[in-house]
Amino acid sequence: MRKDLRLELRSGESTLALLALSMLVLVVLVFALGAARMRSVDAAAGALWVAMVFAGMLGANRALLAERDNGAIRGLLLSPLDPSTLYAAKLCAALIFMAVAEVGAVILMVLFFNLDFDASMARLAPILVLGAIGFSALATLLSAITGRTRGGDMLLPILAVPIFVPALIAGVKASAAALAGAPFESMGDWLKIMIAFDVLFVTAGYLLFEHVVGGE
Amino acid sequence: MNNPTIRNWLGFSTLALMLASLFMVFDYVPPDAEMGIAQLIFYYHVPLAWVAFASFGLVAIAGIFYLWLGDQLWDDLGYAAAETGMVFCTLMIIAGSIWAKPIWGTWWTWDSRLTMTFILWLMYGGYLMLRASADDTPQVARFGAVIGIVAAMDVPIVIVSVRLWRTIHPAVLVTKQGTHGLEDPRMVWTLLVSLTAFTLLWAWFLMLRFTQLRTRSRMSKLAGRIALATVAASDPK
Amino acid sequence: MPAPVVETRSLAKTYGPAVVLREVQLRLLAGAGAFIIGGNGAGKSTLLRILAGLEAPSDGQALVFGQDTRRLAARYRRRIGLMAHQSFLYPNLTARENLEFYAELYSLADPRACAHQWLGRVGLAEVADTRVRAFSRGMEQRLSVARAMLAEPALLLLDEPFASLDHDGAEIVAALIRGAVERGACVLATTHGIPEIDGVELAVFEISRGRLMQHAHKEEVRRGGRIRSLLGR
Repeated sequence: MRKDLRLELRSGESTLALLALSMLVLVVLVFALGAARMRSVDAAAGALWVAMVFAGMLGANRALLAERDNGAIRGLLLSPLDPSTLYAAKLCAALIFMAVAEVGAVILMVLFFNLDFDASMARLAPILVLGAIGFSALATLLSAITGRTRGGDMLLPILAVPIFVPALIAGVKASAAALAGAPFESMGDWLKIMIAFDVLFVTAGYLLFEHVVGGE
Repeated sequence: MNNPTIRNWLGFSTLALMLASLFMVFDYVPPDAEMGIAQLIFYYHVPLAWVAFASFGLVAIAGIFYLWLGDQLWDDLGYAAAETGMVFCTLMIIAGSIWAKPIWGTWWTWDSRLTMTFILWLMYGGYLMLRASADDTPQVARFGAVIGIVAAMDVPIVIVSVRLWRTIHPAVLVTKQGTHGLEDPRMVWTLLVSLTAFTLLWAWFLMLRFTQLRTRSRMSKLAGRIALATVAASDPK
Repeated sequence: MPAPVVETRSLAKTYGPAVVLREVQLRLLAGAGAFIIGGNGAGKSTLLRILAGLEAPSDGQALVFGQDTRRLAARYRRRIGLMAHQSFLYPNLTARENLEFYAELYSLADPRACAHQWLGRVGLAEVADTRVRAFSRGMEQRLSVARAMLAEPALLLLDEPFASLDHDGAEIVAALIRGAVERGACVLATTHGIPEIDGVELAVFEISRGRLMQHAHKEEVRRGGRIRSLLGR
């Protein structure tokens, strides 16, 4: 039943626009921070994560938007489909979107912050993946809620960001460390936090999604 | 739950304990050797913290019960707890800020405790904004429950991560529960009284608000019944 | 007597002080075709939505296949097809892709063949590979009917299937409904005007002031045919 995912991809037309938007955030940040700050690895990591979170929110919203158009979500609910499976499919779609955005953001970051494409990139990758999983899990669950309320799109960041804070802190710290060349062991604590967050929220999303998606 | 006698009793005992606590704080307890008078805020700050977090826990627990049992009662309880908790959380941030000024010289600082409270405050805000921006249907109540549960699950992780991130909170509070660095037994007593007083105050507010919400839920249920009966009665025979 | 496919017991639905349905008693057996007429906002769509499990009754009970509609297990949902005002179609996908998707969703044997077959049946074979967003309302409606029917559900709930259709389209849908009834499905549809469907005995109900009442269909009276659905008033 993950074929739902395939269809998501096929219908992606506004995807490019949203990706571009996420990249723009990074650019804005660069200008806002100013040339002096651009030496620092911390600033680079920070900017990267801001762009990621932004992309993540857009991605999760998109994943559910397709169904809202013609009430297709009702069609899915009526079918023998398990709501949790639906969650998994949406999560994958959001994740892929975020992953693509991340790659783009990393490239931009390297360019703007005068970093190198070296081994630290390899260390950065798993951190970004963990962060993407966590945020997508959270945002997919939440955007099913915020999409149906009047506050709508504004409410998603308000809800998602405070909850995402621990993973955000951990992610930025770990990313900065990775970029500075530190080995994985030194980031142990941060990684543990991110893994715990991911496990927790994917599980929660899987279990709670049925409550969020049903009803009038 | 709705018994007005219990409520009044609760109200009066709250009043009594709050007065006692005021007296104890300002007259009874000796000021802390290091920090002087400003340390007194501690006796309000800690109970506020306890209440703010406990309230949020209640929102989550009520949420779980609501999703499981479906009875509107649990949603009303959760909503009441969220509103009450928000009030106390706001007070706590203000109190923390007032304390910070004379001690550290700034109104705000990103230390672990204050940051944690701020995040909690944002979570409360998110919950309340969600409930306010949507109609009062069972679906929205379910949304609230889910958010409450998700946010509460997040709290331990936030605590850990924020603590890892910063720690400049004074030694009095950063050590584990039990070793507060309170030398004088009078301090311990004052703290206990304060704690109880605020807990009662919270319970009282909670009960008031819960009763209100409960009544409102019941009334809308009745409205449905009345409507049905009215239309039936006006059927042409 | 075999178990009814659809049954409601003193079903009522209120939205706050507004009463939409009340005292609805309905029993439909397999192979029954029934139409519900009534003014706009009379509650026809609401009844269908409750039967499909999308909304919960305020009072009373709604049962399909003997199960409470509020907690329908997957294997029962598989046997229900709903066509509503919202088409449940993805505008950015083609007609064929939409049907294939739903065929897969319902675990049908050969999704491609199935989609192809139904596209032909509703007369959309030429536009099979056009995106749904380019469809006219009538075309979208026909595709929506195909979507509802392709899993050959035992219970078919159609909300105003004839609206926005031209004469040809209406004929196609009428034929499909007839086919469904003939193969033993239970069909419940709402409409504004009493439809003419040859070869099938139809029961006609009306919702007025929230209550459901049965009319005798002209056809039935003329043929003296069996009434395949019962109603308690």
